[in-house]
Amino acid sequence: MTATLNRRPDTAPDTGFLARVTAWVLAIGGGVGLLAAATLTVEKINLLSDADYVPTCSINPILSCGSVMTTPQAAAFGVPNPLLGIAGFAAVTTIGVVLLAGVRLPRWFWLGLQAGATFGVLFVHWLIYQSLYVISALCPYCMVVWVVTIAIFLYTTLHNLRQIPPSSPLARLAGIAGYHSVVLVAWYAVILAAILHRFWDYWSTLL
Amino acid sequence: MTRNTRLTLAMILVVILVVLGLMTLNRNTAPSAVSDTGEAVDPAVLVRDDSHRLSTAADGRVTLVEFLDFECESCAAAYPAIKEILATYQDRITFVVRYFPIPSHPNAELAARAAQAAANQDRFAEMYTLLFENQDAWGHQRTAQTETFVGYARTLGLDLDRFQRDLDDPATAARVARDRADGESAGVQGTPTFFLNGRQLTQVRTQGDLVAAIDAALAG
Repeated sequence: MTATLNRRPDTAPDTGFLARVTAWVLAIGGGVGLLAAATLTVEKINLLSDADYVPTCSINPILSCGSVMTTPQAAAFGVPNPLLGIAGFAAVTTIGVVLLAGVRLPRWFWLGLQAGATFGVLFVHWLIYQSLYVISALCPYCMVVWVVTIAIFLYTTLHNLRQIPPSSPLARLAGIAGYHSVVLVAWYAVILAAILHRFWDYWSTLL
Repeated sequence: MTRNTRLTLAMILVVILVVLGLMTLNRNTAPSAVSDTGEAVDPAVLVRDDSHRLSTAADGRVTLVEFLDFECESCAAAYPAIKEILATYQDRITFVVRYFPIPSHPNAELAARAAQAAANQDRFAEMYTLLFENQDAWGHQRTAQTETFVGYARTLGLDLDRFQRDLDDPATAARVARDRADGESAGVQGTPTFFLNGRQLTQVRTQGDLVAAIDAALAG
């Protein structure tokens, strides 16, 4: 019996390039998301204490936090969204750092992260839709959150797909992992295209 | 280089090229009629078929075009003068209003869309009047003044469902953006900017100046 056969799927060695990338994406993505969420929280507090406060990211009618932050969508679950971000991204950053430290996490832990990241990515896409087609404004800090949430979700998902035992019919999905950055760029490209299309008249007047 | 890296770089390159391509294409199709120091601007750029006319000259000899921003204070300051000029000259001049919302005015673009939504129900002039006469009430507010503008639509007895729909319609925003783009290609940099028979009025400071310019054009 070889050592390979003795390994349980959830402890399969995942020390390759992609595992390191995943750890860095979680650590840096989580950190950047945390910064963006913290900044948005500070801006929200400034707005609450001074109704005439103009957020630092209100640049023009399209790129504007002020008009986005004051919508009902900005507190979708009753509390301002950035507060969820501070909690979520802090946890993701910690997990990334723990992975960089070389700790091997159990499968249930990864599935928990998957649940959180899936919620995050669904929420972010609802927010993208609201921002583009309902509010008609883009908030730069929020867009930072979109970018990192998608990366965190993608790399977490690819990690979990790679843990599917080869006997499972779903195992072929793990092959996507070989094209991780292609998937990421394609994903961003679709959102970029939607933004350009939605606000094309505006962008074109800036030329 | 792995296949993944090659594909990723290729895709990034394609995205950049497509965006650059669209921008160039857009720039080439935009009408260019930049005028400097009083040179005549292509009348087709200054007055489009769908541009809003507050008065139309019977003989079509004198056309005054104003690029305006409903939230700009100098535009509101010019409004009473324009009102008087329109009352005085009536059908002797064509007066055309073009949208030129300034990005630093939070509700300027929305106000222009409100005017356009009213125009869709043939009430542009009335909305134009309401927006300027109440600028103090809605101007320079940080929050979107949608409710206020819907209120004006109600005052005018417009079909509110349609007004609201038109206000949010990307086609309305595009219509406003087209006006702005025309203004830019005509060399408009701020508001209000007036063009009399295709020439930008750069020396007009008072109502008297404007009246004198119109009189000269009517005489000439």
